[in-house]
Amino acid sequence: MKLRKLLVVLTALTLVLAACTSDDGDTTTTAAAADAADAGGEEMTSLLDEVIARGELKCGTRDALTGFAVLTEEGDHVGFDSDFCRVIAAAVLGDAEAVDHVDLETADRFTALQSGQVDVLSRNTTWTASRDGSEGATFLTVTYYDGQGMMVTADSGYAGIADMDGVIVCVAKGTTTEGNAAAEADRLGLDWEVRPFDDNDLIQEAFGAGQCDGWSADSSALTGIRADQPDGPDSVVILPDVFSKEPLAPLVLDGDTAWAQAVNWAILATITAEEWGITSANVDTFLDSDDSNIRKFLGASFEDSDGNETTLDAGLGLPTDFAYQVIKQVGNYGEIFDRHLAPLGLERGVNALWTDGGLLYSPPYR
Amino acid sequence: MTTVSVTKPSALTWVRRNLFRTPLDAILTIVFGSLAVYVGIRGLLFVFVNGRWEIISVNLKLLMVGRWPADELIAIAVALVILGLWAGLIAGIIAGRQVRKGTSAIEGMTRLERASDLGRRFGLVIATLLLLLSLTDTSGPWLMVLFTFVGGVVGRLIGGQIGVRSLPSWVSRLGIVVMVVIPVWAYLYMASAVPLADWEGFLFNLSSAAAGVVLSFPLGLLLALGRRSKLKLLKGMSIAYIEAVRGAPLYVLLLLANVSLEFFVPAALAPSKVVRAIVTFTLFTAAYIAEIVRGGLQSVPLGQEEAAKALGLSPTKQMRLIVLPQALRNVIPAQIGQFISLFKDTTLAGLALGILDLLNAAGAITQQSDFRGQGLIIETLVFVGFLFWVGSFTMSRESQRLERKLGVGTR
Amino acid sequence: MTTPAPQSRPPFYRDVRILSWAFQLLVFGLIAAVVYWLFGNFQRNTADSGIPTNFDFLANPASFAIPGADFDSNESVRNAYVVGILNTIRVAVVGIILATILGILIGIGRLSKNWVVRKITTVYVEVLRNLPLLVIMTFTFLGVVLQVLPRIENSWVPLGLLVVSNRGIGVPWYQDASGLSLLLVLFVGFLGWWLIARWRHSVSDRTGEASRASLYGGGFFIAVLVIGWLLLGASYTLPVVDGKQIAGGIRIDPSYFAVLIALVIYTASHIAEIVRGSIQAVPLGQGEAATALALSGFQRMWNVVLPQAMRIAIPPLGNQYLNLIKNSSLGAGFAYFELTNVTQVTVGNGSPAVPAFTLALVFYIVLSLIASSFVNLANRRFKLVER
Repeated sequence: MKLRKLLVVLTALTLVLAACTSDDGDTTTTAAAADAADAGGEEMTSLLDEVIARGELKCGTRDALTGFAVLTEEGDHVGFDSDFCRVIAAAVLGDAEAVDHVDLETADRFTALQSGQVDVLSRNTTWTASRDGSEGATFLTVTYYDGQGMMVTADSGYAGIADMDGVIVCVAKGTTTEGNAAAEADRLGLDWEVRPFDDNDLIQEAFGAGQCDGWSADSSALTGIRADQPDGPDSVVILPDVFSKEPLAPLVLDGDTAWAQAVNWAILATITAEEWGITSANVDTFLDSDDSNIRKFLGASFEDSDGNETTLDAGLGLPTDFAYQVIKQVGNYGEIFDRHLAPLGLERGVNALWTDGGLLYSPPYR
Repeated sequence: MTTVSVTKPSALTWVRRNLFRTPLDAILTIVFGSLAVYVGIRGLLFVFVNGRWEIISVNLKLLMVGRWPADELIAIAVALVILGLWAGLIAGIIAGRQVRKGTSAIEGMTRLERASDLGRRFGLVIATLLLLLSLTDTSGPWLMVLFTFVGGVVGRLIGGQIGVRSLPSWVSRLGIVVMVVIPVWAYLYMASAVPLADWEGFLFNLSSAAAGVVLSFPLGLLLALGRRSKLKLLKGMSIAYIEAVRGAPLYVLLLLANVSLEFFVPAALAPSKVVRAIVTFTLFTAAYIAEIVRGGLQSVPLGQEEAAKALGLSPTKQMRLIVLPQALRNVIPAQIGQFISLFKDTTLAGLALGILDLLNAAGAITQQSDFRGQGLIIETLVFVGFLFWVGSFTMSRESQRLERKLGVGTR
Repeated sequence: MTTPAPQSRPPFYRDVRILSWAFQLLVFGLIAAVVYWLFGNFQRNTADSGIPTNFDFLANPASFAIPGADFDSNESVRNAYVVGILNTIRVAVVGIILATILGILIGIGRLSKNWVVRKITTVYVEVLRNLPLLVIMTFTFLGVVLQVLPRIENSWVPLGLLVVSNRGIGVPWYQDASGLSLLLVLFVGFLGWWLIARWRHSVSDRTGEASRASLYGGGFFIAVLVIGWLLLGASYTLPVVDGKQIAGGIRIDPSYFAVLIALVIYTASHIAEIVRGSIQAVPLGQGEAATALALSGFQRMWNVVLPQAMRIAIPPLGNQYLNLIKNSSLGAGFAYFELTNVTQVTVGNGSPAVPAFTLALVFYIVLSLIASSFVNLANRRFKLVER
């Protein structure tokens, strides 16, 4: 009898449960079906169309790396990476402010991209082969050529990393910096203890208390950190050695060529503009330039071989005036760099145009 | 040799009995006494003289509600006032029912005694509230607390009137529904003002702990019944779930939820970090609630069930009317304990998911340009610890009081 | 008078056995469907984004080093997990021992006749028990280790025996002794202790003389340690500050120190409550009888009350031990390389997140099961003593 009674109770309870879950089941099956349909139709619909339809770009970024992306008290994202989010939005949507900046932790940035939480990741991410291969992501044009460096206190007396034997080096967890530091110590035959911390705040505490001799991170990031030191930027020194290649590039999901090309050309437009000396201030004067290549680039009309006025549509799925919008609303590469990175004391260095001996080179727009 | 004093206990005798009974006692008293005095003086100096508390007062809003938009703060105020009214109503109804049944503990007390009883029980919370209010520089929080207090008092008075009456059953049922709906409504009302994803600061800790415990209860109840069931498959599944979850650290579950949830549900459903935390809290706590409820079910004497059966109640009614009410009443203190534990564990979500909860905010504000590099982490941690401590301590004392009142363990 | 209806098989829809199985299968089916749906999503999503879901990553080189362990970045991820598990066990075992000792002392203190001791232990318990462990751990790391302990240049060197700095605490240690030989010495010592204790107890049971098992056994243990040390070369090293590091002796990692202290003081506050409750649950007559036998206060507590109290305390103590093991995962936030931290770091260095964290979770569940079977064993053993 007891069994039966319990049975009845349980049946009653599960009927309720079943009612709930079957509801869930219904929605989930429809969701799953919708998902399957999505998966099936993915070859046809690109993220490009989705973003245009949505009218807003979801751009993966961060909230606290001076120079690259900082969340201000007013809730704006300011920085080099944030501006490249705006560049993409200006190119695709014609509005640099149509961006939803999504703050991501270092550890979950790839997952956010993979799951479609963001359309593009512009979050100073190093392009490596295994990330390209196993994170399901495609890296695009490099926006910043970086390298891992080392910061020490000014009174430590280290002139280069080769002096640093038997020291403790602190790094942020979940990045390539741990591996690079370990490899570099091996290569130089130095005895380093590499301690990874959860975030820069913790490293700051440990570094300030003298638990770490060196703070290793990308040179650009270190420059930002140095500017923020409690005892002033002169209390620390960034050593001249750079011991890894860290090309930082935006990335999109694998297998969506149309979207990848659109984002890529938006970024390349900033470089092309700098090559021609087009800035946000003078872009309007170039609209009637004598150089038809510039007019093509800006989406201004030009005379084709038959003498007709026309504009160039490269077939990228972008508006013909996308480059004009990018430059007018955000600026060229040099402007973006000068706005956010130069104030930190960063030099153009390898990030100069190829014409100035740097690595920035855009394929021709024609 | 110690001699037993036969004179009337005087201060001196008290000292001798309690502090210097044996030589060992004397040493302990002196060592620990001076240690306590030293720590006490250092503590007092820290709180009143050396502590640099401006970092707290400057960042009070960030610590309490994170980056909640200033013009939406009214939503919190409205919800709090309603919740004050709600809590007052419940307290009033319970007190009224006790008066009706003649089991009221406060009826024989004078007003003064009642006030001092309340002061003893909630004085710490009131003092903390006043402290927090004294740190604010706007009138909004004062008004909010004042209206919440007024709401509570009004609710208590109305509730007392409702409680002493015996109402027709449909009215009381309706009442129960209303009482359940009110906090849910308050929650949804706040969520409609500012999406759940942006709930930060102490608000996150409190609200997500509450949501976690409430949501985990149905699942925990089902798991407990499942574990007690004679149906082997059901029992096996319940045990597997309960034991696996109890063997896993909450922190690792949160980390896993952080990186993996989007793979298991469609992207459209992939929830915000706050929802993720609440879901993890719910699934985690359910296993513990299940064990608590199981204990409660075991504590109901078999005779109760047999008596119910003898009255000719159907099995559903036996469980619903006789067994479950007693079982659940007995486990209320243990559930409060679980709530306290979850309340403290919500800090893990800050570390694992990067939510700007109270503890995370306490760390973040020490990096502000005005406060950087001054070792203010001690001050902020003391403040955060104090808030959590007041909450947990008051709740655990109330739960002990309830335990004594219910006589759990004595029958 | 009605006659009872003749017994017959009920129709199938009223047959309890069939109903119960149908019901169970229904529930099972529902759960299976949900799991299937979740797993299907997982398969599809990972396949779409080309993320590996198998455990092949365990053979990859870890490409990170682990401080304080003999582990370099070319070893496999699998070995990194092993180091992580060992570090979890290390902090858990030491933590359990220390928390138990501290907890028992404080639990006894709460029942002391000394007013000062009673009040201090009460304050300790009420404060620590009601704080989040993460707040305590943040305090021990950011507050104590980074702010109270001195920089390596200004280390405290009490008596030349210890080196205390925020880069670790150096303690004198055997020199050149391998871990294995140390373990062997410890094993011989404990074995001898146990055998001697058994022998003394049997002597005591036969003749009635005091057993003094702890005295003889402990003495033997210390003798074995000393002899072992002499046999291993009688050499030791003292910690000294060597430039930026602590050389010689053995170094206690600062993160390990912070995590251990936090776990111990937090868990001890819970254990103290259990011990207090268990002592109060021992019938008062036991203590009175001990006093009547003219046992001293210590003997009464150690030989009569505590053994009976601990028997009651074992199951809840076991829960606290399990909590401590699980709570050690918080060490990941403070640069201590236990299992969770190793998992996080290896995920940061390219291992797939879902399998890596799932693996960590399984390890924790297995560790918990092992620990709880120890507790059950202890519980059964002490229950048997009860006649």
